[in-house]
Amino acid sequence: MTRLLLVAQQEILRQFCRPRGLLSVFTLLLLWYLILRYPMMSAIDMVYAGQENEMADSVFDSLGLGSVMLWSAPEFAVYWRVVLYLFPVLALVLTADQTASDRERGTLRFLALRASRDEIFFGRFIGFTINLLILILLTLLSIVIVLVWRDGSMQYDYLNSFFIISLNLWLVVMPFAALMALLSATVNSARQAILWAVLACILITGLLNALAKFWAPLEVLSVLIPGVQLKPLAGLAQREVFSLAHIPLIQTVVLLAGGRYVMSRRAL
Amino acid sequence: MTTLASCQDLSKSYGNNKALDQVSFEITAGDPVALVGPNGAGKTTLLSILSGFIRPSAGRVTVFEGAPGGKKTFGKLSALPQDARFDPRLTVRRQLAFYAQLQGFTGKAALHEVDRVLELVKLEQLIYEKPEALSHGMGKRAAIAQALIGTPELVLLDEPTAGLDPGNARHLRQVISNLSDQTTFIISSHNLSELEKLCHNVLFLEQGRLQPQTEQASSAQQKSYLTLLLANGSAEGLAEKLQLLKGFVSVEQKQKNEYLIKYDAQIAPMFDQLLLRCVADNGWEYRQLLKGKSLEEKLFAQS
Repeated sequence: MTRLLLVAQQEILRQFCRPRGLLSVFTLLLLWYLILRYPMMSAIDMVYAGQENEMADSVFDSLGLGSVMLWSAPEFAVYWRVVLYLFPVLALVLTADQTASDRERGTLRFLALRASRDEIFFGRFIGFTINLLILILLTLLSIVIVLVWRDGSMQYDYLNSFFIISLNLWLVVMPFAALMALLSATVNSARQAILWAVLACILITGLLNALAKFWAPLEVLSVLIPGVQLKPLAGLAQREVFSLAHIPLIQTVVLLAGGRYVMSRRAL
Repeated sequence: MTTLASCQDLSKSYGNNKALDQVSFEITAGDPVALVGPNGAGKTTLLSILSGFIRPSAGRVTVFEGAPGGKKTFGKLSALPQDARFDPRLTVRRQLAFYAQLQGFTGKAALHEVDRVLELVKLEQLIYEKPEALSHGMGKRAAIAQALIGTPELVLLDEPTAGLDPGNARHLRQVISNLSDQTTFIISSHNLSELEKLCHNVLFLEQGRLQPQTEQASSAQQKSYLTLLLANGSAEGLAEKLQLLKGFVSVEQKQKNEYLIKYDAQIAPMFDQLLLRCVADNGWEYRQLLKGKSLEEKLFAQS
């Protein structure tokens, strides 16, 4: 257990306590500022304007954005819609190199003399997903700052939304990190892992859709494709978002089991 | 003696190519063991299996009474894997400290242990460098330092002196020699003279098979051979002069100034002293006198 935590801790330190890791975090936060400052703030202003208009509810409903009004603040509603698609992509990129380049370089051999393959595999996964959680919390914190700036006070409802979104978003990105753990254990570089992740998601979705036309029960297998729940999830708000939490959890368990199998059998 | 590792009918195949073919042996705690053989004989494969980096195709391998790569081996077995490199993003010291922590060292103790092993390989002045700032030889020494963290009971070294300058290679041999009281080394190398200085036992692999005649380096037969290396151009009439010595059987010139002398140890148990006197009386200059055959002779010459 200690070794598992040490491996995880090493990944967190590498991301947040080393110059190269910090530079990538700084770049991401700068990009986030630009997204927040321009498209998101405009969208937030639109929702605020809509709140003052009696017709707004029906307009948002007709656009499929009815849940926007259900969040404790428009900032959270817009944030939820944006990051629900942004963070899975970010997760694919940031967690692509869990073991691939270390194995290719031979560094994993030094590690494997002191930690089991399970400890390396799961320790890395935990470290990478905690890094994602920290990024989620940082971006969400920026939303809270905007809210407090606008309202001049912090409300309990905001805290509630903060925890609901951060926990759910973490669940959303987990299967993407697990997919990259599996691919990183399989291929020889982070670039190949990203390429295969994109190809696999597109091809498997297409294949399942095509097969489901011939035999409908096959459609149930699409539950294993990371991100399959994103569209319905975007239409939910507040505690309702937990209603689909089982899907990413199942996906994560299945993908990690596959990754563990590959990791245990591959030559280092 | 404690058995550190054992293999029984160990085989490893890559497609149709058999890298190891029913290899069986046992490593007990003690003197360094040499692992020799031509390129492609299966030396690196064998060390990789013992380290748990790859899985055997067939046979049984036990290291410290457990499976290779298992928890029983952590801190007890270490290795210098061939061509393995450090993470270029972190300093050597930080990476070694992390490995020390994984082996159970905490905080400052981990850093002290890292300083100790880096000092052993004379890299203490480069501890804050990142791996990319190190030359090939320095990187190799850092990787050797990695293998010595925590003074493991068994250390597998794959080509430890390849790429090292003679001074550092000599220093490494001294380190191995000094540590061999606490640590058993298995050393794979093509440098036979180096192995001869360090190792008493030899594992000789050829085409994936362990050659039985080399399992023990000092057989009874060894005791009736001497290998004499003379200085240039000083061996006139050597064979005739040797024939006069009591117990002499035969002499064979192996290389330009190297002679393999066979004698009867029962008739002349102190034949080496007779030979040295003969060398001195005839004014020959000798560079080396070795009891038994040279390792190269034992392994590669057909007797």
